[in-house]
Amino acid sequence: MVNLTPLLPELFLFCWALVVLASDLFSKRRSASLPGYLSLAGLVITGFLLIPAHDAYLWGGMFVSDPFAVFFKIIFLGAAFMAIGSSFGLAGRMTHHRGEYFTLILFSTVGMMFLASAKELITLYVGLELTTIPLYVLAAYTKSSRASTEAGLKYMIIGAVSSAVLLYGLSIIYGLTGTTFLQQITINLSIYWLSYGELGPAFSIALMAILAGLAFKLALVPFHMWAPDVYEGSPTPVTAFLSVGSKAAGLAAIVRIFVGAFIAFATPVMAPRDWGSTLAVLAAITMIVGNIVAIRQTNIKRMLAYSSIAQAGYIMVGVVAASNLGVSAISFYVFSYMFANMGAFAIVAIIAERTGSEQIADLAGFSKSSPVLAGLMAIFILSLAGIPPLAGFLAKYYVFAAAVQAGYTWLVVLALLTSVIAYYYYANVIRMMYLSADPNPHHIVPSFPAGLVLALAGIGVILFGLMPEPILKLAIAAASSFVF
Amino acid sequence: MMTVPLDYYIILSAFLFAIGAIGVVVSRNLIVMFMAVEIMLNAANLALIAFSRFLKLMDGHVFVFLVMTVAAAEAAVGLAIVIAVFRARESVNADSLNLMKW
Amino acid sequence: MDQYLVIVPLLPFLAFVINGLWRNRMSKNTVIALAVGSVGLSFVTSVLLFIRLLGLAPEQRLIQQTLFTWIPVGTLKLDMAFMLDPLSAVMILVVTGVGFLIHVYSIGYMAHDEGIKRFFVYMNLFMFSMLTLVMADNLGLLFVGWEGVGLCSYLLIGFWFHKDSAANAGKKAFIVNRIGDVGFLLGTFLIFWTAGTLRFPDLAARAPEVFALGGGAVTAATLLLFVGATGKSAQIPLYVWLPDAMEGPTPVSALIHAATMVTAGVYLLARLNFLFILAPTTLVVVAIVGCVTALFAATIGLAQNDIKRVLAYSTISQLGYMMMACGVAAFGAGIFHLMTHAFFKALLFLGAGSVIHAMSDEQDMRKMGGLKKQLPTTYNTFLMATLAIVGIPIFSGFFSKDDILWQAFSSGHGNPLFWLIGVLTAGLTAFYMFRLFYLTFHGQPRYDQQTADHLHESPRVMTVPLVILAVLSIVGGWIGWPKVLLGGAWFERFLAPVMSHAGGGAAAETVGHSPSLEYGLMAVTIALVLVSIYAAYSIYNKSIGRATSLRQSLSGVYKVIYNKYWVDEFYGATIVRPLVKGSIFLWKIFDVVIIDGFANGLAYLTGDASTMGRKMQTGHLREYLTAFLIGTVLVIGFLIVR
Repeated sequence: MVNLTPLLPELFLFCWALVVLASDLFSKRRSASLPGYLSLAGLVITGFLLIPAHDAYLWGGMFVSDPFAVFFKIIFLGAAFMAIGSSFGLAGRMTHHRGEYFTLILFSTVGMMFLASAKELITLYVGLELTTIPLYVLAAYTKSSRASTEAGLKYMIIGAVSSAVLLYGLSIIYGLTGTTFLQQITINLSIYWLSYGELGPAFSIALMAILAGLAFKLALVPFHMWAPDVYEGSPTPVTAFLSVGSKAAGLAAIVRIFVGAFIAFATPVMAPRDWGSTLAVLAAITMIVGNIVAIRQTNIKRMLAYSSIAQAGYIMVGVVAASNLGVSAISFYVFSYMFANMGAFAIVAIIAERTGSEQIADLAGFSKSSPVLAGLMAIFILSLAGIPPLAGFLAKYYVFAAAVQAGYTWLVVLALLTSVIAYYYYANVIRMMYLSADPNPHHIVPSFPAGLVLALAGIGVILFGLMPEPILKLAIAAASSFVF
Repeated sequence: MMTVPLDYYIILSAFLFAIGAIGVVVSRNLIVMFMAVEIMLNAANLALIAFSRFLKLMDGHVFVFLVMTVAAAEAAVGLAIVIAVFRARESVNADSLNLMKW
Repeated sequence: MDQYLVIVPLLPFLAFVINGLWRNRMSKNTVIALAVGSVGLSFVTSVLLFIRLLGLAPEQRLIQQTLFTWIPVGTLKLDMAFMLDPLSAVMILVVTGVGFLIHVYSIGYMAHDEGIKRFFVYMNLFMFSMLTLVMADNLGLLFVGWEGVGLCSYLLIGFWFHKDSAANAGKKAFIVNRIGDVGFLLGTFLIFWTAGTLRFPDLAARAPEVFALGGGAVTAATLLLFVGATGKSAQIPLYVWLPDAMEGPTPVSALIHAATMVTAGVYLLARLNFLFILAPTTLVVVAIVGCVTALFAATIGLAQNDIKRVLAYSTISQLGYMMMACGVAAFGAGIFHLMTHAFFKALLFLGAGSVIHAMSDEQDMRKMGGLKKQLPTTYNTFLMATLAIVGIPIFSGFFSKDDILWQAFSSGHGNPLFWLIGVLTAGLTAFYMFRLFYLTFHGQPRYDQQTADHLHESPRVMTVPLVILAVLSIVGGWIGWPKVLLGGAWFERFLAPVMSHAGGGAAAETVGHSPSLEYGLMAVTIALVLVSIYAAYSIYNKSIGRATSLRQSLSGVYKVIYNKYWVDEFYGATIVRPLVKGSIFLWKIFDVVIIDGFANGLAYLTGDASTMGRKMQTGHLREYLTAFLIGTVLVIGFLIVR
């Protein structure tokens, strides 16, 4: 009998999702409270179950519960928690399929957790699909809305293509190495490389096909085109979950494969066909395009979509470093990004629900009508922009420091310059809220779960900016899961 | 018994993949786009099976089974979304979907 | 006592939190009392801390307080820690002292503004950030304050957001400062990677071992930090935001854009003097940028008609002096001028605010004139400040400016050319300041009847800070009375422990020069200043009745006066007029067209690129797919072809 303790959180959450699904049968009409609160409780319990699941592996190393996996699972659970917390308003207006909505988020979360733990290609691929397929449905969840269905469809088709590209890359890697275990792949590749001195174009194709397939999840330019449309059309809590959870999942996969298995090919020193410099170019283009196009956006969800594209670029700067510091930096980055981005989207959701508008211009005078919400929004935005002492600043600082250490100074200079552009559109939101004479007629008081999400996000952004010690320790432990 | 060399399979799989990729781009019909994606997935499947057979390992077979399952799930969800799109706008033309842009 | 350090920034912060969250439920007076009271208490604490610091032996004057470990990990260890050494002590006294006076003044100035509560919330946040900046014990925490003051500056410049120009000016300041921050952060990275620490005391101890004199690393790091300083302290080429920043309320201009925040760059250089002294190349760059900025801004100041804009260019020019002082390794002199400048420039702005207040928000000097009678207190205090800034002996500005000029001439890093530019700038300063003074307070009234009816001296709550600042503008420089004038140069000795790595300041450097040379240079400066004042007097004060009657009553010497008058005309026609023309030219061409044009052009370009990028997002699924697949092929191709 296999000891399933390492798998306990996933198993529990999966079963709990079914419970949530069933609970909807008993809940009152026009109230999302029961399945919603059940989901929140399930996520918290899963979080506790992560504690005993530390440092163990299953099935000969297919599924590992190393510090890296646990760290990212915390992020997924947090993102799901905040997405569900800010969904109560949306779910409350649904007449059908409320339970399914929460269940799908939980299923997707289970998929992410599998993905983070996968150290084997099949597990990784299945985990990735389990993450993504519920998200297709969630993006198109408001079936009556043309925007939402369009978003779901665009997401799905491009997602399916990217998954095919990824799979093709994986199949070549399998053909080259004869194994699906990442650890064995590293060893076999080294042997191959030592015997022939070169891995040939097939390996390059595989490497880049995998990169393209995963870059879709992270919305790196030029694999980003779907993101703004899907972010705009999807229900706002789903958008938030896409921009944080799904992105973090893609990042976990990239780090697992590229830093975990292909670390030897990160720099030109070791291999002439290195993925490091290619990824550096992608990161550079992503930062430039994401930040520049964000400037002229008028819809706040779309603006945040471009902002999150740019953020993915900054994260890639840390991946490119491919070092201990780099991995801990991006882990911390995603953690702080989770709070700021989920918080910002939660506020957008609250406002849109009340006013029906997602335009940046309609934030005018918001600081007067709802000072606390406006203050929180300002904090989230400033954290995204990387203003100290908020968590976003430290995150950027770490990532850039890692890249400078790895010798990518040009990339850091570029990142800093593009962040100047980013200040422009971030400042625009603050300007609308604080420096606008138009009176805002809406005094908005968030519901209890949404308030909880905002409090959590606000505390996270401030607290982990001032006292990042516990999280940084976890992030450094996460980086220790890899051999450099 | 004459065996077909591995290269043939790989080249066929590459061609299939290219056909699928081109098909998904040139087709306007959402259903046809789906079929093209399935061709891409099956191209990868073919490569996996060929490698698996050539290396005399079973991992590839397992992989393919799971991919087929995943593809089925994806198709189910995909068609459901296509139906939802069709209900919302009475069309399955991919080019008519441009509500969100810029 | 050590654990009380944090109180200084904490008090304004508490007031900020309380007022920020509950200001809508509190009465206006409670908000004001909290805001002003917290800054006042903060000042008292600063004084107590200062006294405590004086009680220590000069070499041990360093009080530290670590709140908690901020970034604990690996080699990068940063604390939330404050420190108080003579340099920070000077800074917190200036910040809290001048800040308190300006807060008090604001009670009167902002009394009729409906946003007064919000105003004080931002002001308190600013005080907190600024105090964090000057008390931080490492570069990381300093950056926290650095960004904080930038944010407050943004919010306060755009305070009157119903004016479009105000909101735009705020944004400009924000963005331009971020450009400087890029340099700052990169410099910080470099220092960290080479020295392994960002704590000032550790850095000071380690710098001579880690960095070679004139080495590439230290030169690059200091140059990058200097880029940050040019942003914050409005030096060429990043000065463009400061004149526009005058859109904010006048107390903001006084506090943030004259006395405190804009001097943060100078503070940064002085704080890291032990690094800059190791990079002679950087020092030359700093000195050149400083003196060119000083001269350039002074020239532009000649032709401005908006009273606050004149003062803004004057601030840029004076900041140039401070930078020049740092550039010749006379960091103490820079800080000395920073302090005296805080007094008199704050006073000038507050005085201008009082005038604007009295004139029903008129800022154009051409529509003022003859305000001397109506605004006696403002007039007298403004005169003190003007005498201080132009550097009339006994007034505070004289000592600090003279110190800088002498150092520029005589220090090991100095150059007579720097001195010459400094002296020219002093002459120009005297001219445009007295031009402002005469246009505003003397001559015929040029305002309309409606304004005249409302004309009134400001209330006590505004004039008392003016008087206090006027006293400080006179006596504030006495603590640095130079040895050559039989003073004790106490200020320099007080700062010496912080600057010890900078080669001892003036005392060691002046050995080779005789006191008579110093007297001579001093005399040249004073002479030029007096001539400039006279020129301003003769041009901008000539048409008033009193001058005419004086001429008639002294008909015996009429001819002499007439001749003299003719000399003035000549002087005006040949030197002053072309100078003013040149000034307008410089302003129009260089400032408005080139620098602004470049900045705006860049903004438009980015905006156009943004629009272009937007249009690429056509909404068509198949185009997205094409982009995806082409992208895949491209990355594969990139990897294979390389």
